[in-house]
Amino acid sequence: MRERITFVQKEGDSIEPTALKVDGNGLKGPEVKAVREDRLTFALDELPAELKALLEGVNQLHVRWVSPVAYEAVSPLLARLPPGFHLFYTPGSDASINPCPLLTKAFGLDSCSSPSDSFTTLPTDRFTHSTTHQFYQPLPSLKAFAHFARSLLCPPGSPSSCSSRLGSLTAASQLDLSYDTISHTLRLTSLWPYSPQSLSASLLSPTIRTEIGILSQTSPKTLEPHEIGISGLLTVLGQSTTPSPTLFSFPSRHRDSSSSFQAHFLPPTGLHPTLQLSISSPSPPAKSPTEETCRLHGYFTLPKTLFPDRHQLNDPLFLSSKNLTAVRYITPGIDLEAPEYVTSTWGSALLLELAPPHSSSGKEWTAEIPLHLRYLPPSLTGYQKAEVPYPALFWACTAEEGTKFPGNPFEKDRVGYDGLFGERTVFWHLNPSPADGKLVNTVKVPVLNLEKADWVGTVTGAVVVAGFAWVVIKLLGVVVMGGKKLGEDKKKKQ
Amino acid sequence: MTKPSGTGQPEPPATSSSGASSLVTTFFDRPLPLYLSAAIFRLVFLLYGLWQDANSPVKYTDIDYLVFTDAARFVSQGQSPYERETYRYTPVLAWLLLPTAHVTGNRILDVAFFSFGKVLFAISDLVAGWLLEKVLAKSMDAPRARKFATIWLLNPMVATISTRGSSEGLLGVLVMALLWAVLERRVTLAGLLLGFSVHFKIYPFIYAPAIVWWMDNERMSPNKTKPTSLSSKPPFLTAKILNFITPPRLQLALISLTTFSTLNIAMYLIYGTPFLQETYLHHVTRLDHRHNFSPYNTQLYLSSSLPLSSSSSFRIEKLAFLPQLLLSTVFIPLVTAKKSLPTSMLAQTFAFVTFNKVCTSQYFLWYMVLLPLYLPQSSFVKNKKFGLAALVLWVVAQGAWLQQGFELEFLGNSTYLPGLWLASLAFFGVNCWILGVIIGDMR
Repeated sequence: MRERITFVQKEGDSIEPTALKVDGNGLKGPEVKAVREDRLTFALDELPAELKALLEGVNQLHVRWVSPVAYEAVSPLLARLPPGFHLFYTPGSDASINPCPLLTKAFGLDSCSSPSDSFTTLPTDRFTHSTTHQFYQPLPSLKAFAHFARSLLCPPGSPSSCSSRLGSLTAASQLDLSYDTISHTLRLTSLWPYSPQSLSASLLSPTIRTEIGILSQTSPKTLEPHEIGISGLLTVLGQSTTPSPTLFSFPSRHRDSSSSFQAHFLPPTGLHPTLQLSISSPSPPAKSPTEETCRLHGYFTLPKTLFPDRHQLNDPLFLSSKNLTAVRYITPGIDLEAPEYVTSTWGSALLLELAPPHSSSGKEWTAEIPLHLRYLPPSLTGYQKAEVPYPALFWACTAEEGTKFPGNPFEKDRVGYDGLFGERTVFWHLNPSPADGKLVNTVKVPVLNLEKADWVGTVTGAVVVAGFAWVVIKLLGVVVMGGKKLGEDKKKKQ
Repeated sequence: MTKPSGTGQPEPPATSSSGASSLVTTFFDRPLPLYLSAAIFRLVFLLYGLWQDANSPVKYTDIDYLVFTDAARFVSQGQSPYERETYRYTPVLAWLLLPTAHVTGNRILDVAFFSFGKVLFAISDLVAGWLLEKVLAKSMDAPRARKFATIWLLNPMVATISTRGSSEGLLGVLVMALLWAVLERRVTLAGLLLGFSVHFKIYPFIYAPAIVWWMDNERMSPNKTKPTSLSSKPPFLTAKILNFITPPRLQLALISLTTFSTLNIAMYLIYGTPFLQETYLHHVTRLDHRHNFSPYNTQLYLSSSLPLSSSSSFRIEKLAFLPQLLLSTVFIPLVTAKKSLPTSMLAQTFAFVTFNKVCTSQYFLWYMVLLPLYLPQSSFVKNKKFGLAALVLWVVAQGAWLQQGFELEFLGNSTYLPGLWLASLAFFGVNCWILGVIIGDMR
C-alpha cells in the first residue's frame, strides 16, 4: 500500500521549505489556497476478499465520481466530466461477473443491477484505449462511500486520523477508482477543490509509505509548447524531515482553455426541453500550439429520464441553426419511445461538436441541444423532477505528430470522451460556472396526477360501454327496420 | 337559376354559386381537368416541401419518411430494413422505396430520387381517387361521381399527408382497389389485394367478413336459379352453413390466406425474427402510453406505470379489443354489408379507429378514402346544417384535445387529468355519434 498526497497551488504561488514541519507521522504547515489530491495505491493482495474476488474477474474497472457542486480546478488537475457516478468497465473472461452489488454497497447506487441490464456498450473499434461498457447515474454525495471506505480501511485500533481523513471525502469534488489487469493494482484518487486549507497531512496507517508534494505550475523558458512545468517541494514521511525542491515538466492531456460556460434549459421545457449552452468565447485556446487543429466539443451523460434523438441531430441545416456541427458519438440503440419506468439501461452518452460563430471578437455565444423527455411515473402533484448534469466542454486539439503523454504523474484517463478521440488529442477545458453553483439542471416534467386518477378506469370504461351500446342500438334499429321493410315488401307482393 | 328540385338526389357539394356553376360543370364533364389539377396540386405541395426542407430547420418531410428511406438504404446495402430502429413495416415498403437510396452524385437528380417515395404515394392518391370515381359511377353519372371523388382528390389534408411522405396513401389505393375488385366480382384479384393489404398494415382484415358476407349467391351468380326459392320452409342450420360456403367465398378465403401467408413466410425466411417482432408482435407488446386521441390513453399510461404485481385490480384496457372487434368485424358487417358494402366498410373502419387503443390523425385517412362513397346517400349531405354541425363537433372536439396536448407537450403543464382525458372522451363520444348516424342511414 502506498500513498501520495499533493497540494497544488496556482502558478506563481510557492512556499518556503522552512515553513513546513515534517516528522514520521505527518506534515504541518501554514494555511494556503490549494487543491489537494490524495492517491492510495493497493496491491490486489492488500484488498478485502470480496473486492479482490471481483477485481480478479474483471479486465478494467474505472469509477469516476464528480461532485454536483461547482468547483475550481488548478493545472494540471484539470480533467472534467459531467457530475455524478461514472463507470467504465471491461469484463474479464468470465462475463457473468457482476460488479453492481459491490458498487451499489460502496457508493449507495440505486440503478445498477447488472452489466447486461444497466450498462451500455462502447465502441472498441475506434481506439484500443477504450473500455467496452459504460454506466452512469446521478450521485450527489460520497457519504455512502466515505462510510464504506472507513469500514474497510480503518479497522479497530487505527489512528483517529484514519477515520477523520476518510470522513473528509464528503467534501471532495472528484473521486477515481481505477483497476486494470496490466497494473494489477487498485488506485483510489480523491481531489478536493481549490480552497484555503492548512498544509497538513497525517498517516492513514504507520505501515503505509506516504509521499507528500507541495507544487505549483511554472513556465520556464525551456518548456515545449505542449508541455507544462511543475516546481515545488517533495518529501517522503519517515525518510527525511526536510522537503527537497523539485522541478520537472511533462506533456499534459488536460489543459485550461481560460473560457467558461453555463448550461440551462430554455423555458418552457414541455416534453422536449432544449439545453442552452452559453459560452464565453468562440475562439480556440490561445496557448494551443498553432500547428494543432482544434474543435469545440460537448460531452453529455444523459440519465434515462431524457434522451437525444440521433435522427433529429442528423440534418446539417437543423444542426447549424442550433450552432452545432455534428454528432461525433451517441450511445447506440437508444429506445426512442419507451417510458422511463420500463427502461433498464442507464441512459445515453453524447459527444457533440459545436459550431462557434466565425466572428473574431470574443463575444459570448450560445448553442442549443434539443432533448426529449421520457414518460415518468405518475405522481401526487402531477409533476416529477428530472436532473440533468452539466456536460464537459472542451476544445479537442490534435497535433499531426507529437507525444502520447508519457510520464505525467497526474494523468487522468478513462473519462469517457478520451476513448472517442485519438491518443494524441489534448483537451482544453472550459470552466463550468453556473449562477447557482450547481452543476445540475432540473427539469419539471408533467406527469399524470394520481390525486385525480381515482375515477379514470371506471369513467373510461363507462364511456366506452355507452358508446358501444349506442352503436349497437343503431345497428338494432337497422335490423328492425329491415325486417319491417321485408314484411312490407311481402305484403305488396301478396 | 335554381336547380330542379324533387329529384330526391342530394345536392353535390361545391355548387353553391350559380355564376360558377357552368364552369364547375365543365370542370367535371371530362376527367382530365380534375386529375390534372389533383396532380398539379400535389406537385406544388411536393416542390414547396423540397424548398422548406432545404431552407428551414423545421422540416416538411414526415419523420416516418426518413424511417422508410433509411430502411431502404439498409436494403440497398444488402442489409435488413429492421436495422433502422422504429421501422415497423413490411420489408415490401422498403423494397418499393429502393430508388430513394440511389445516389448519382448530381444534387438535383439525387433529390429527385430521394423524393421517389413521395411521388409514389401521391400517385397512389390519384389512383385511389380514380377508383373512387369508378365505384361511384356504378350508381350515378360520371361527372357527379367525379364531384364526389373531389373530396378525396383535392383534399389538402390528403395531399399534405402523402407529399410529406406518409405511406397511408398506399393503403388508400389498396382498399379502394379491393372494394372495386369485389364489386366487379373479380374474386382472384380481391383475394390477392386482401391478403396483401393485411400483410401491409393488418387492419384491412376487418373488411374480410363484410366482403365474405356480401358475396352471396344472389350477387355472385345472379342469373342462376336460387336454390332457396324451391321451398318456403326455412332451411336447416346445416343446410344454411352449406349454402353459405360458396365457391367464390372459398376462392376468396383461399387466395387471400395464401397471399398473406406466402408473403409472411417469405419475409420471415429473409429477415427472420426482427420481421415478426417489428411488424406484428410489436403491436401486442407495445405500451401505448404516449398521449393520443384514444379514450383508453390515460388509463393505459396509468396502468403501464404500475408494477405488474398490482395487476390484480380489474383493467378495462385488457378488454379494449372486445368492443372494437365485435363492432368492426361482426356486428357492423353482419347488419350492413349486404345493404351497402362501401358504407359498411366505412363504418367498420370508423369503429376500428374510434375504439382503437391508439389513435393518431393519420388513422383518419383510413376512413376518409371511403367517405365519398357514403356521402351521396348520407343525412349529412341531405341536411346540410346537420352535416355542418357534425363536422364542427368533430373539429371542435379534436381542437380541444390538440389544445390540451399543446399545453402538455410544449408548455409542460400537466394536462393529462382532467383536460386531455376529458377531451379524448368527448372526441370518442362525437365519433360514436357520427358512427351511429352513418349506420342509421342504412335503414
